[in-house]
Amino acid sequence: MSVLIAMAWRNLRQGGRRTSLLLAALVAVTGLLVLLMALSNGVEASMVRAATSLAAGHVNVAGFYKATPDEGFPMITETSRIKSIARERVEGVVDVVDRHRGWARVVGPSSSIWAALYGVEVEQENRLRETLRPAPLSAYVDDVDPARADERPGDLSKLGEPGTAMLFAAQAKRLGVQVGDGLTLRTETLRGQSNTADATVVAVMDDLGLMSNWSIFLPKQTLLDLYGLDDDTTGAVMLYLDDIERAPDVMAELRAVYADEGFEVLEHDPRPFFAKFQTVAGQDWTGARLDLTTWTDEVSFLVWVIAAIDSVSFLLIAVLTGIIAIGIMNALWIAVRERTTEIGTLRAIGMSRRRVLVMFLAEALLLGVVGCLIGTVGGAVVALTLDALSIPIPAAAVQAILMNDRLHLVIEPLELVTVVVGFTIVCGLSALWPAARAARMPPITAIQVHE
Amino acid sequence: MMRLVLTALLLTLMSSAAFAETTPLTDAEMVALLARIDDQQRNSGDYKALAFIEQREKDKEKIVYEAVIYRRDADDKLMILFVRPKAEAGKGYLRVDDNLFIYDPSVGKWERRTERERIGGTDSRRADFDESRLAEEYTPAYVAAEKLGKFDVHHLKLTAKDGVDVAYPVLELWIDANAGTILKAQDYALSGRLMRTAYYPKWRKIASPSSGREIYFPEEIRIYDEVEKANQTLVVMRKVDLDPLPANMFTKAWLESQSR
Repeated sequence: MSVLIAMAWRNLRQGGRRTSLLLAALVAVTGLLVLLMALSNGVEASMVRAATSLAAGHVNVAGFYKATPDEGFPMITETSRIKSIARERVEGVVDVVDRHRGWARVVGPSSSIWAALYGVEVEQENRLRETLRPAPLSAYVDDVDPARADERPGDLSKLGEPGTAMLFAAQAKRLGVQVGDGLTLRTETLRGQSNTADATVVAVMDDLGLMSNWSIFLPKQTLLDLYGLDDDTTGAVMLYLDDIERAPDVMAELRAVYADEGFEVLEHDPRPFFAKFQTVAGQDWTGARLDLTTWTDEVSFLVWVIAAIDSVSFLLIAVLTGIIAIGIMNALWIAVRERTTEIGTLRAIGMSRRRVLVMFLAEALLLGVVGCLIGTVGGAVVALTLDALSIPIPAAAVQAILMNDRLHLVIEPLELVTVVVGFTIVCGLSALWPAARAARMPPITAIQVHE
Repeated sequence: MMRLVLTALLLTLMSSAAFAETTPLTDAEMVALLARIDDQQRNSGDYKALAFIEQREKDKEKIVYEAVIYRRDADDKLMILFVRPKAEAGKGYLRVDDNLFIYDPSVGKWERRTERERIGGTDSRRADFDESRLAEEYTPAYVAAEKLGKFDVHHLKLTAKDGVDVAYPVLELWIDANAGTILKAQDYALSGRLMRTAYYPKWRKIASPSSGREIYFPEEIRIYDEVEKANQTLVVMRKVDLDPLPANMFTKAWLESQSR
């Protein structure tokens, strides 16, 4: 076998420019694939981070309350009992928090926006505190003094004080507020009466893509007062697991547990809670019912971003792989033609057809392994370098789609191995036909061709 | 003698009328005044009017909506059909019992909305176009007898009764002591914050064939948003018509048919 590999290596070196071009193409395609995969992984990682910090737990126990059959409110009662059941009956739960949910007009000094309100107890919100960091003044203050541009004022822990609010840089910019400024929140209570609350901005955080555009955080009590709610009500109980992959199983387990505990549980609907209002309003029941979802359900409206990146990557790589396969096939056809006499001689001195086949396949596989290794390692190095540089994304629209204000790429080692193995196999398969033709060539015919 | 009695009676009536303009009202008189406001706007038959709703918001172009208001107060029915601008034409609100629905012809779907819906996203509310129910929905308290411009007014503070579905739990009204029409209204949120101020500079009377008397309607309402200070809405009512409307028009099918 080593002889065949040595012969393949020699032949590749003799290929000169043809081999170099093919190698360069392979390096470029695998490098590009690795970069695209790193980008897709980065967006997915950003989405998980943003979704599980801002909008959802790994598993969410939310629900609707209907005083009349026609109108449902996204809230649950018996919060303490729901939380203790989750803690006691499910394994692998590392954190349980609950958040109130609301929707209000947020009025600042220069403009107003609609925003989703989250009422939190900030001391319980470990993930929120770990994920978010104060934004620099330059991100939301126009004409900021250059000496203060990098200052990051604000303190998330102050969100524990009543009448406070935490928002994101893009929102602060639109509203024209800084830390210490006042906001007015305007909404309706569950009984439909207009109500307002005043809040002081205690922190302005870095944007987290699309989801941070409409999320504002307040102390839980502020939301309870704003909506006139009881202390034991909440919007959703959010469960964080030791392994996010277990979310669907834990959700299924919890559905049975809560039903067993006497709660009414709605059929699983894999959509975010705000997309279910019409459905729930159309159902003929009153009272409280639980609605369990996973984090992917709550951000299902964003999954298209990853699907789009993956689709474009797949299309691009498929085209480039096709070109590479044709290139390898063509190069080997030329090699077979150029080396017909050699094939005839080798066959005449006793080399079997199978070994001739293996000799040409080894040539393609060797080219594939070397090209893919260089391309994969190169792509990974470029991706890691770009990620380390944490390059700011200038356009707000792109930030929203990539769910990050900085370029974030993630390398998965297993994917790198898959790329190398996959492309090498493609190279081998591309060589199969010319190699088979070479192997089937009768020795006499091969020698005669030269004569 | 008879002339003397009549003169004395007239003087008493005149002086009591003049006195009423500046004298605080009792609880019963306030309730009677609210009932009078409701009653003089109530038409036992049908109602149709063309409304121009002009919305001004900060950093935005002024938008003028044109809508036809249909009411059948006897059955508590209300329908608002937008006819302009073109992008809004065919959109409409329909109240059936206690439910308010909105229809959007661009998607062909109905959605249930709260009774307190801001009409067309403006500062106007369903109640601004609907039958007045102040006596039924609020408990009044007297604030002061005041002057509003050249008018003598009763300044009342109204608090929503328990279980009543209203947008603002507290209202303050400045009521023309002579005509019994509202000249100014301020709406407060549950938190006590002033939400909007509305002025009613023009009231008109129109003969109602169904009730055989004249009823009042505000020809113009100027609404100022007190939270988003730059926002204001002007509602102008034209072509008020109290003739009977077709019997079966307060239906989803009828409203949908207007955009086909």
